[in-house]
Amino acid sequence: MSDDGNTNPSRHAPWIIGWFILDAIVALAPPIYWAVDGNRTAILGLPAVVTYFVAVAVFITASIVVAYVAEARSGEAG
Amino acid sequence: MLITFGAIAIFFAVIIVVLQLSGIKDRDFTDYAVGGRSFGARYQAMSFLNTWYPGAMFTAFGGMAAGAGVISFYVLSYSLLTVVLMYLMAKPVWIWGKTFNLRTQPDLLALRFGSRHIRTIAAVVGIISGVPWLVLGMQALGTLFQHMSLGTLSFAEAVMLGVAVIALRQVWTVRMGMRGVVISDMAQGIVAYIVGSAVLIGLIVWMVIARGITFDALDQKMFAIPSIGSTEGPLYLFSLILTGAIGGWCWPYIFVRLFTADGVESLKKSAALAVPLSLVFGVALLIFGMLGSQIPGVAAHPNDVWFIVSKEAGGLWLLGLAGVIVLAASMGHTDGNIQATGAQFANDLVGNYWQLGERELIVIAKLGMLALTILSSWLACLELPALFSLAVLAYQGIIQLAVPQFLGIFWKRGNKYGAIAGMVAGFIVAVVLELGYPGYLPWAYGLTSGAVALVVNLTIYVAMAYLLPQSQAERRRVEELFDLIEGKRSAASLSKGVREPA
Repeated sequence: MSDDGNTNPSRHAPWIIGWFILDAIVALAPPIYWAVDGNRTAILGLPAVVTYFVAVAVFITASIVVAYVAEARSGEAG
Repeated sequence: MLITFGAIAIFFAVIIVVLQLSGIKDRDFTDYAVGGRSFGARYQAMSFLNTWYPGAMFTAFGGMAAGAGVISFYVLSYSLLTVVLMYLMAKPVWIWGKTFNLRTQPDLLALRFGSRHIRTIAAVVGIISGVPWLVLGMQALGTLFQHMSLGTLSFAEAVMLGVAVIALRQVWTVRMGMRGVVISDMAQGIVAYIVGSAVLIGLIVWMVIARGITFDALDQKMFAIPSIGSTEGPLYLFSLILTGAIGGWCWPYIFVRLFTADGVESLKKSAALAVPLSLVFGVALLIFGMLGSQIPGVAAHPNDVWFIVSKEAGGLWLLGLAGVIVLAASMGHTDGNIQATGAQFANDLVGNYWQLGERELIVIAKLGMLALTILSSWLACLELPALFSLAVLAYQGIIQLAVPQFLGIFWKRGNKYGAIAGMVAGFIVAVVLELGYPGYLPWAYGLTSGAVALVVNLTIYVAMAYLLPQSQAERRRVEELFDLIEGKRSAASLSKGVREPA
């Protein structure tokens, strides 16, 4: 066992782990959603606060799809 | 009524024909409990969605979007984040599952912590916490059947009809086990989330073009998120998304999806297939709900938004289809819950203390499922005013499984003492706080009881990991488990006793 007991049993590429951490930050970090609270300014045809949630959803979706495609291509998905 | 109930009857018959034609025969308990670990990515993706999103998505969350507005989007954020966790857990959980023939979530905890008793505790928490949600799901069918009857049936009569239909459906769940659940999830999932998304998008277009409804027409309060100075507190949304994302994997019927795949790649591919569907469905549902709030009648009954708008836009034919879509989603969730609970009853409770053969395990699982179906059907027909509060309480409690589950998978140091003590303490703290401060804790900036309890749980787990270091033998055993995942060791080279419970 390593000294600190940490492990990375899934062995994903660092950029995949980084993107997944960003997923958590954009979805969870309170200052981000506080900033759009009640904001109805139209962005891409939707109120800003709705755009925020849709953008977060698209960002998370993209991270998983891209991670799978990248790992499948490099033979690391299994 | 002929049109609406006719649509429901035809859909029900199609699902039964699909199941009958599949000709499932289970050879052993692994076949019955996890479908012999034989499903590819497409089945896995649809099975996950059909278990994750219940029929209540259309009523409770559609209603929340119609009544409260944009805050309802939290369900989409946590539903997608939970798939990130699935992607990360896929390899370790599947490899341990395959190597050690794990069939349930408590099986994995027992393996990782070398404890037979943690299996019992996790199973009891899982089963008890699941019952209120099962009953609520059955009762929600009352709303569906009341709308299908065009108001002819009283709510009590509609609940009884809904319970009778879903209980009848369980005949095939009991007979066919997990293979039946996953195969029917494919058919039900296509109807619920692909046809459902298409109908939602069509209804949004209808509201915008035919009714001229846009976001501009909505009240300002529909765009509010609990922020600094809000009643709930600035961390309320954070808490909802966090506990939703990590708590999802604490439900036995969700976790067991990780064991039904035919490999790690299928699991990861299923995640990549499920998220775009989840994205389209979730965005469409919540925008539909917000815009639907402007349709007459919805403001007074926001939870009926799906049925009211469908009937308004497409008459009885569309109302019938809307009913079929909700039934499809409800069936998948209820079947998955009952099947996983029956498997736990046999594997983690009875089988944990008595040596049982494969056929005996299957028979006990079937009896457990039958008993649960009868019990929940009976409870669903009663008036239980505290049921929803009990369900929320159960949720705050069951998410305490998350600490030993995730840290057990990703950190070698934890031990069974920290896992059990943390889980039990977390459960008690969650229950006490939820009873004292239902919904959210004003003094904790809007954190929910479960989130605060998770901090207590985590502190105990980590403290015990350092205060009570693993013995040499336990360190070696855990090391071998992680070597297996990292490919440093094959299943054949594992020491005897790696699986032995303490």
